[in-house]
Parts: sequence; C-alpha cells; structure tokens
Amino acid sequence: MNNISRRGFMKGAAATTLLAGTSLPVLAQGEKLRVGVIHMGAISDTGWEYFQAQAWRALQAEFPDQVEVTVLENIAQIQDGERLFRQLATQGHRLLFGTTFSHYASLRKLAPTLPNSHFECCAGIEAGDNLGVFEAKHHEGTYLTGIAAGRTTKSNILGWVGAFPVPQVIYSLNAFMLGARSVNPDVVLKVVWVNAWVDPAKERDAVAALVAQGADVISGSPNTPVQGLAAEEHGVWAIGSTGDFSAYVQRGQLVSFELDWSAAHIEAARAVLDGTWTPTARWRGLGPGGFVKMTTASPELPASVAAEMAAAEAAIVAGTLNPFAGPLKNQAGVEQVAAGTTMTEDEIKGMTWLVEGVQGTLPTG
Amino acid sequence: MSLLTILLAALVAGTPLLYAALGELVTERAGVLNMGVEGMMVTGAVVAFAVALATGNIWLGVLAAMIVGALLAFLFGVLAITLMANQVVVGLALTTFGIALGTYLGKPFVGTALVLPRGSAGGGLAQLPVVGPLFAAIHPLVWLSWVLFAGVWYFLARSRPGLVLRAVGESPSSAHAIGYPVARIRYLATIFGGAMAGVAGAYISTVYTSLWTEGLIAGRGWIAVALVVFATWRPERCLLGAYLFGGATMGQLFAQSAGVGLPSELMSALPYLATILVLVLISRDAALMRLSVPASLGKPFNAEG
Repeated sequence: MNNISRRGFMKGAAATTLLAGTSLPVLAQGEKLRVGVIHMGAISDTGWEYFQAQAWRALQAEFPDQVEVTVLENIAQIQDGERLFRQLATQGHRLLFGTTFSHYASLRKLAPTLPNSHFECCAGIEAGDNLGVFEAKHHEGTYLTGIAAGRTTKSNILGWVGAFPVPQVIYSLNAFMLGARSVNPDVVLKVVWVNAWVDPAKERDAVAALVAQGADVISGSPNTPVQGLAAEEHGVWAIGSTGDFSAYVQRGQLVSFELDWSAAHIEAARAVLDGTWTPTARWRGLGPGGFVKMTTASPELPASVAAEMAAAEAAIVAGTLNPFAGPLKNQAGVEQVAAGTTMTEDEIKGMTWLVEGVQGTLPTG
Repeated sequence: MSLLTILLAALVAGTPLLYAALGELVTERAGVLNMGVEGMMVTGAVVAFAVALATGNIWLGVLAAMIVGALLAFLFGVLAITLMANQVVVGLALTTFGIALGTYLGKPFVGTALVLPRGSAGGGLAQLPVVGPLFAAIHPLVWLSWVLFAGVWYFLARSRPGLVLRAVGESPSSAHAIGYPVARIRYLATIFGGAMAGVAGAYISTVYTSLWTEGLIAGRGWIAVALVVFATWRPERCLLGAYLFGGATMGQLFAQSAGVGLPSELMSALPYLATILVLVLISRDAALMRLSVPASLGKPFNAEG
C-alpha cells in the first residue's frame, strides 16, 4: 500500500468532497441496503431498548429481500459506540441508527467524516448534512394517561417517579398533570427524582415514598416493571408510561402507551433505497405513522373514561387539542403561557418549569 | 405512621447492605481484602433470579446465589491466597468479571418479572401476638439477617474459632507458628463473605425488586465495602451503618415526596462521604488505627517466608 501518490490522494479527496457536496451515493441496482443499529443496553422484552429493537425488526419484515440489518447490543461506552459506528460505516453499512440521545453527540461528530453513510439518531436534537433525527411527543401519551389518572384517583394525589430532570421528562410529567386536571381540577402531582435511568431498587422505594404521601396513581418513565409491581403491592394503580407491563403487572396497571419507532426506520430505509433520503428532524406523537401508541388498558377502566381518552386522542391527532395550549401557570401560579397562545415545539422541547399543581422541586445544579 | 413507614423502609433497604457487609467484615477480619463484593452480588442476583423463576421457590434461588458467591470467592482465594496475587487488583478484577458474568447469564431474563404467589411472608411467625404484624410486614430474609448479625457478633467476640480468625487477621505469622492453618482459615472467611454477597444479590433480585435488569445492584456492593470501613470492622456498627445508609436513601425519597427540598445527589453520596470521614478520624490516631484495622489486612501470607 505504498503507492498512494500525492496526486492520487488529492483526486480521491476532491471526489469525496464533491460527493459530499452534491448528494449521497445511490445504491447500485439489486444491491442490498446494509443497515447498522447500535444499542447501548441489552435488548429486553419491554422498555427503551425493546422499542428500538421492534423498529429494526419491523424494518426487516418490511424489506425482507432488500435490507440486511446488523445489530450490536450492550455497547455501554460511548467511545466504543463511536468506534463501532465508524467500523460499520466503513464496512459498507449505508444506513446507521443511533438509539439514544447519548449517540447523538457521537454521530454529530462522526457523520461529517463519513459522507457516504446515512445516519439517523433517535432522540437526537438537530439534523445535520447526513444525519436525521427523530423523537416522540411523549407528552401526547402522558396527557391521555393523565386523563385516566385524574378520573381514577380517590385521594386526588398522583405520583411521578422521575429519572432525571431533563426537558423530555419535565414536559411528560407536566402533560400528565394537565391531562389529569382537564378532568379533575382538584388533583395534585407529587414528584420524586431517583437520579437514575435504571435503578429498580430505588424506583421501588420511590413508589413506597409516594404511596406514603397518599398518592394512589403512580406514573413515571419506567424501563422495567418494578414501579408497577411496587404499586400493585401497595394496592395503588400504576401507569405503563413508555412501556406496557401488563404481562407482569397483572392487576395494577391502569393504562399504558409505548414508543413505536417503526415508521422512522421504514421511511428512512425506503428513502435510501429510492435515493430520495434527506436528513430531517421528526417529532411525532399519536396517530398513524406516529411514534406514540396507546396500548393495554385495565378491564377495570370505566368505558366512559376510555371514551374520554379516545376523544382526546382524536382531537390531538386532528390538531384541535394541544396539551400545552394556554393559559398555563407555573408552580408559583405565575402565568407562563397566555390564553389563546400555544407553546412552540422548541419551547416544549426546552421546558424547564413545572406546571401548577405539581408538588416537588427540580434538583438544582 | 409516616415515621414507622420510613423506618420499615430503611430496614428493608438496609438488609442487602447488611448481608454483604457482614460477609465482607468476616473476610477482612481474617486479613483478606476482597473488593469483589459488587461482582459477587451481581452474579448472585442473576443466579438467584433464574433459579427462583425456574423453580418458583425463592429459597432455592437464595441457596444457588450462596453457592455461586462462594465459588467466585473461592476463585478469589486461589488467586489472592494461594497464588498470593495483589488482593486489591484481584478484587477489582472479580468485580468486573462478576458484573460481566451476571450480565451474560442474565440476558434471557432482562425485564422479566418474578411473580410468585404472595403468601404470608412471615409464615407461622406472623400468627404470634404483638410481634406478629412485624413478621407479616417484613420478609424472612430481613429477620434472618438479624440472626446472621447475632451469629457473626457472637462468633467474633465470644467464640474460640472467632478468636483464631481474628488472630489470623492480626498476625498470620503468629497464628501459623502456633499451628493454625492460616490459608485454610482465610479461604473459609473469604468463601463465607462470597456466600453472603450472594445472599445480598439474591435479596435484591428476588425479594426487593422481583426482577433482573442490568444495573440492578447499582453500586450497593461498593457501599457494603465502604460500610465495613465505616463500621471500623465491628459487626454492631455494621448493623447501625447498614440501616443508616439504607435510611439515607429512603429518607431522601420521602423528603422529596413530602416536598422538603434536599439535594438528592448529595444524599446519594452520603455513604461514601461518611466512610471517608470515619477513615480520616481513625487514621489521625495511630492507636485507634491499630485497634480498628486488622493488622494484616490486604497482605498475602507466605508460610515459607
């Protein structure tokens, strides 16, 4: 490999620049599209990694002959993920999926250096030249589960087990509160932060703490059935927020919704196959092709409440209902969003304040 | 009502720490520093979960976890006692190995929940007057940890074999000169520590959370190691410390839900801060240091040399 002349190198570099400047290379006729997916955790039967896996499984099912998916799981270290993304790209994987926000920073750095690959990052923020991002409107799901919680609670105290006080969690719990208050103005929501994405023992303790404070419907963003199991043990309701745990939580789960990224995977692969792929930022909630899907509801949920939820869902899909439409007040009762206005997508994505009726503080620092 | 709830919750949260720390305490009193508690707990948790799921019996799971914890500790013994490798390094390696092994073995069970019929946890004891409700509210593994505590305390403070174990930890060469099998005693102490770490892991995966997932142990093994130092190698302080550390976590969560603003991150760091404080306090005084720390802790013993 000593015959790389300076002229040859310059020609190659120029060609690469030219390619990156115009458009991504189109697949040759009959060539299989190789897709690479990297999971940070192990693929399980429920929770975040499961939803990611369901997406590429749907992709395989959609294009059994045209797409070949390589999956690497349990790549906990960001540095390893970065190296493996590069390796997959250089091995000829033309479409690469990042599965967490943690991959986003890596891909922002990597994508410009691998102009022949198409990158898509779940929970990413901004699209790049060859990097698309997609995220779910969690708040559309939690608004609906809030309706169920507001109708079901007897103590008028709801509980939320918070992982970390990041905007995505904050707007989820705010919408949960707004949904509950839309049907029951007396309800309050107590929040406990466990400062961990996964620490089942601590989540279980958090549920106990909330129940001791009188909460009788508990939500959060669990990755394991532990919150539901703990709630069931205490004889209160749990909500499968971003995870349907009805297989394990036999009586205690009131309602649930899941994240469905299939549309993002299938659309991206189809566009790459057609040569029409462009990097975009997608933020979708309920509805067809959306990323939020309502799933199992308890048989004990009254039909009238289910109908109320269905009506709200239809209104959200139709665009006539937005959980973050004014007037909205913060915890101190100060108006943050005026009547007649609605928070913009960027405002929701950057939300760092809690709505009126939420009891709890955001950890500072 | 609320205070009792918090105390009961602290009791439950402190139990795995108590098991792991009492085991490690016995190991360290024999002069062996096994830092692999976290790894043994992770593997123990997975094995207990798998066995309990397959058999529907928590106790078989606990037994399996004890065996696996003991096996890992035996492995540690071969490297650190027989081959006289650096105990700190072998302990850290055991942690990494245990976590990786647990993750590998636990793959099929991630996210699965162990749903067993909830019979009366206390069994016949729940029928007792006065104390009955207490036994009904807590799992047998909780009060068995008090039996273990009493046993360890009696063993170390009052029994002859306990005296021999302490002698091995203070001055292995003297113990060897009198004719005690130093290596064998250290093996037994290490294996006991491993078995208890296994129980601690089993408690978390089968009783406490009833599920297995990666990150389940979440550093509790390290807290147990810190706890032994915090307790200055005394079982009674270990008992206190386990509930104090368990209570710190619980108190923090209860304070949050009650609307009392406490920096939750600081509370999570409390066990480690308390341990550093104790270390600083005892290190300042050479006599106190000699009284508290097993003199041969972490030093390999070579009978020939």
